[in-house]
Amino acid sequence: MSGSKNGADHMSRIGNGISRRGILQLGVGAAGLYAMRDLAMVSSYAAQGGGGYRALVCVFLYGGNDSFNMLVPTSTARYAEYLAARQNLAVPVEDLLPIMPTTNDGIAYGIHPSCPELRTLFDAGNLAIVRNVGTLVAPLTKAQYQAGGAAVPPQLFSHSDQQFQWQTGVSGSVENVGWGGRVADVAGSLNVGSQVAMNLSLSGSNTFQVGHDTLPYNLGTNGAIKLSGLFQNWNQDRTAAFETLLDAPHSNRLVRQFAGIQRQAIDVQGVVTSALASAQPLATVFPDTGLGRQLRMVARMIAIRSTLSTSRQVFFVSRGGFDTHDDQEQDQPGLYADISRCLAAFQAAMVELGVADSVTAFTGSDFGRTLTSNGDGSDHGWGSHHLVLGGGVRGGDLYGTMPSFQMGGPDDVGGGRLLPTTSVDQYSATLARWYGLTEPQIASVFPNVGNFATSDLGLML
Amino acid sequence: MDRQSIHGSAHGEARSRWKICRSTAAFAVAGLAGCSGGGSGSGDVPLPPITATSDVPESDADASRFLMQSTFGPRRSDIALVNANGFTGWLEWQQIVPISLARPALEAQAATGDVYQQHRVYAWWRNSVRGHDQLRQRMAFALSQIFVVSDVAGTLGGDPVGMAEYYDILVRNGLGNYRQLLEEVTLSPIMGRYLSMLGNEKADPIHNIRPDENYAREVMQLFTIGLFELNQDGTRQLDGDDVPITTYDQTDIENFARVFTGWTFADATNWNWPQSNYRPMEPWLTYHDTDEKTLLNGLVLPSNQTPAEDLEAALANLFLHPNVGPFIGRQLIQRLVTSNPSPEYIGRVAAVFADDGTGERGDLFEVAKAILLDEEARHGHTDDPVNFGKLKEPLLRQTALWRAFDAYSTIGTYQDGWPDGPWGQAPLRSGSVFNFYSPFYRPPGEMLDNGLYGPEFQITTHTLITSGTNRLHDLVLWLNDSNTGIDGDDVVIHTAYERGLATDPAALVDHLDLLMMGGQMSDWMRDVVIDHATHVSMADGGYDRVTEAIYLIATSPEGAVQR
Repeated sequence: MSGSKNGADHMSRIGNGISRRGILQLGVGAAGLYAMRDLAMVSSYAAQGGGGYRALVCVFLYGGNDSFNMLVPTSTARYAEYLAARQNLAVPVEDLLPIMPTTNDGIAYGIHPSCPELRTLFDAGNLAIVRNVGTLVAPLTKAQYQAGGAAVPPQLFSHSDQQFQWQTGVSGSVENVGWGGRVADVAGSLNVGSQVAMNLSLSGSNTFQVGHDTLPYNLGTNGAIKLSGLFQNWNQDRTAAFETLLDAPHSNRLVRQFAGIQRQAIDVQGVVTSALASAQPLATVFPDTGLGRQLRMVARMIAIRSTLSTSRQVFFVSRGGFDTHDDQEQDQPGLYADISRCLAAFQAAMVELGVADSVTAFTGSDFGRTLTSNGDGSDHGWGSHHLVLGGGVRGGDLYGTMPSFQMGGPDDVGGGRLLPTTSVDQYSATLARWYGLTEPQIASVFPNVGNFATSDLGLML
Repeated sequence: MDRQSIHGSAHGEARSRWKICRSTAAFAVAGLAGCSGGGSGSGDVPLPPITATSDVPESDADASRFLMQSTFGPRRSDIALVNANGFTGWLEWQQIVPISLARPALEAQAATGDVYQQHRVYAWWRNSVRGHDQLRQRMAFALSQIFVVSDVAGTLGGDPVGMAEYYDILVRNGLGNYRQLLEEVTLSPIMGRYLSMLGNEKADPIHNIRPDENYAREVMQLFTIGLFELNQDGTRQLDGDDVPITTYDQTDIENFARVFTGWTFADATNWNWPQSNYRPMEPWLTYHDTDEKTLLNGLVLPSNQTPAEDLEAALANLFLHPNVGPFIGRQLIQRLVTSNPSPEYIGRVAAVFADDGTGERGDLFEVAKAILLDEEARHGHTDDPVNFGKLKEPLLRQTALWRAFDAYSTIGTYQDGWPDGPWGQAPLRSGSVFNFYSPFYRPPGEMLDNGLYGPEFQITTHTLITSGTNRLHDLVLWLNDSNTGIDGDDVVIHTAYERGLATDPAALVDHLDLLMMGGQMSDWMRDVVIDHATHVSMADGGYDRVTEAIYLIATSPEGAVQR
């Protein structure tokens, strides 16, 4: 972002579609590089019909969501296993909201009582649930896990490491780039002429959106913030001095990094602020919670997609509080209710904007949690269920494989930590393909996905 | 107080001034504080004498750089003090000056009305900006970002007094011993609630209930040894296949989780009730797992030990692990000096952690001294100007401004309870136990490409960089002593001394460079700021010229990075 010391204009600092390395290595101007990349990429997309607008919205549930209470098997034998494992963490069977998945796998299911909106979305065919997803390097059996020697994701059950692996989509890689960033690396040219980055975060820095060539832009829930006391007629001298200090040929890399971020913030702010100001207000009302405010701004940014000349966007929002080591029974209903209401409002907003088929929201989280209790909560686990929402989703159905909740059973690697049956790579590749990536691009963005039976879980239309 | 006379003390007569201080200790306080503005009420306690050493700074700039690393921001009086007494003399004096604590302030508040988390933050500003024990407070703030608790957690939000005492644990032990600190943190009911060791019970196999693993995991991952076996220089040990060797596995966590069973609130009459918000947790044998446990390096805790015996052995097991020195040392270097210390630097600090020269392990004062007096701390800015330094922590940008320009409110308080709004940072208020940023965060772009860490960049988002710049705008251009419309609780900077220099813009900017940038301002930047200052009218006696220059420096990229 700040590597272009040799007079490239401010455009070169704007994240989307710019190859920093290209500029640094080739020494060519940003504009020329743009053109070369764009030609190649646009033709690649045109060949597979990647036109039209598409957006992915990652809803990251920080702390490790205990999703085994979000989707619960209610068939007699299955519920008995669930109850035996979860004990005081179990949701009473009579409280669960029954659902009828399109595919009958012989098990009855219910959704947590705090999520009536999710049930409605499921029934309407807009919500799919993918079961027991987790970090894996390659398919893994319990016997292989216990015997050792097989490839197992490093640092299982550790928050920071498992967040990292969920967001990179490559367990075992130490490379600090996320799959959303790598997707933007190959798809960035679709936003030709846009001054705003493809990857937009409403929740600050994250690994998910960082690519080799892609730098995400961070927005607040009220949009981009304007600088006080600068860029007005009465303070031209101050502004000139401020900008001169900002754009100086700084010799220290940390100074350059800081300058680059401030410069990018200034340049994008003007574009975003004026576009937002001219947009039709959203009628959909969002819950006034952190997640609700983030998703509302995502909707507003989607609403101005044409003004920003973007045809692809990757958003990142998040909610914390899922690390329910204690007081889980008291805290979980509120956490679930917030997700349910916010996602429902978001889907309503997408319908309002007429882009429901073009926007897919999906959850990620550090890990699932132990089925067993530590007295009043659960500890760090592995596999967990995840939500995929949108008009482009083959909703109303469950995907992946329902694990056994039997303690010491085939999926339990200890204490009710469940061995995932679907990898994060497969889950992510399915979404990236819908976003428009070709098969070779899928293979390069998700280097481990070829280890698994399929890179398409079949949940996208 | 007459600013000009303080100036005289700071720049011309420091040594003789100090002789006065020594002979009349009570007077020394006011003189040293150098900023006893109306109502601040700071520092009425006598300060102990300082014993000068010969390692005096090469220049005022050298002293100022050192103070940027070791305090919440240099002041003219501090520069004079270090010049007069040497780095080591100042450091050793810092160890013995009276300690500034937070809980007493909150208890005083509680006696007169409601007390909330913002009162804890007010006390933090006060101690950080005005406390004489600057090194101790700076270490405590660094340690608060390793031993993280947060009022964002619902369980702690309502307990500001308990959290103030938690911070006081870090302050009291910040120049003490790591082993003692680890124990006090572990037994704090605030940490006990935050990482759910409080109330943790032995297993109940009939109900599939196991001990809570939360504290067991994080005390290893974050507070002591980290994930990978380290060499003493902080680099990872590799196995035969060049794969890093992990320090512990799930079985180790489960064994430590069993150690950390059976603790609850002090003086509880029932298990977990009633609550005591700050006194150390106490053991209940009934709920403790008394079976044998195997800890790191095969250490076996025999069955039937008491909770305290198990805890003692487990904390010793962690404390004696060779990783602690390089793991914690690297993070303290990052908080005080530079984001990318060399392995040699980490190794030198780790060696002091292992043995302070008297055979003591974990002596944090000697560790702080080793960090600050290391050749890399003292000369990194000239030896490796491209990569050396750290982005200033947001709160430190504000404290440095307030210290440099003698900020206080007329009612004496520092009522800024929610600095996390503009800055993304507030004391004991990170989003998770992983702190505001990771010590391993590499910002995308040139730094990532060059393998450079920059933890503070993780909260330097496009939004926060602008809201931070705007906060500085208000703090400098609005909340200054030219403003006649301020309220009694507004914290205001005072620029009388600087206005005295304002007719000579070059002298003004050089002075600001010394105070705000440790004399590291580039010639090029100096020209820009002088030029801008020169074009600001002196019609108001220099207020505008001074604050314009301060604002430009405070918000500049060069000014944002400590080098």
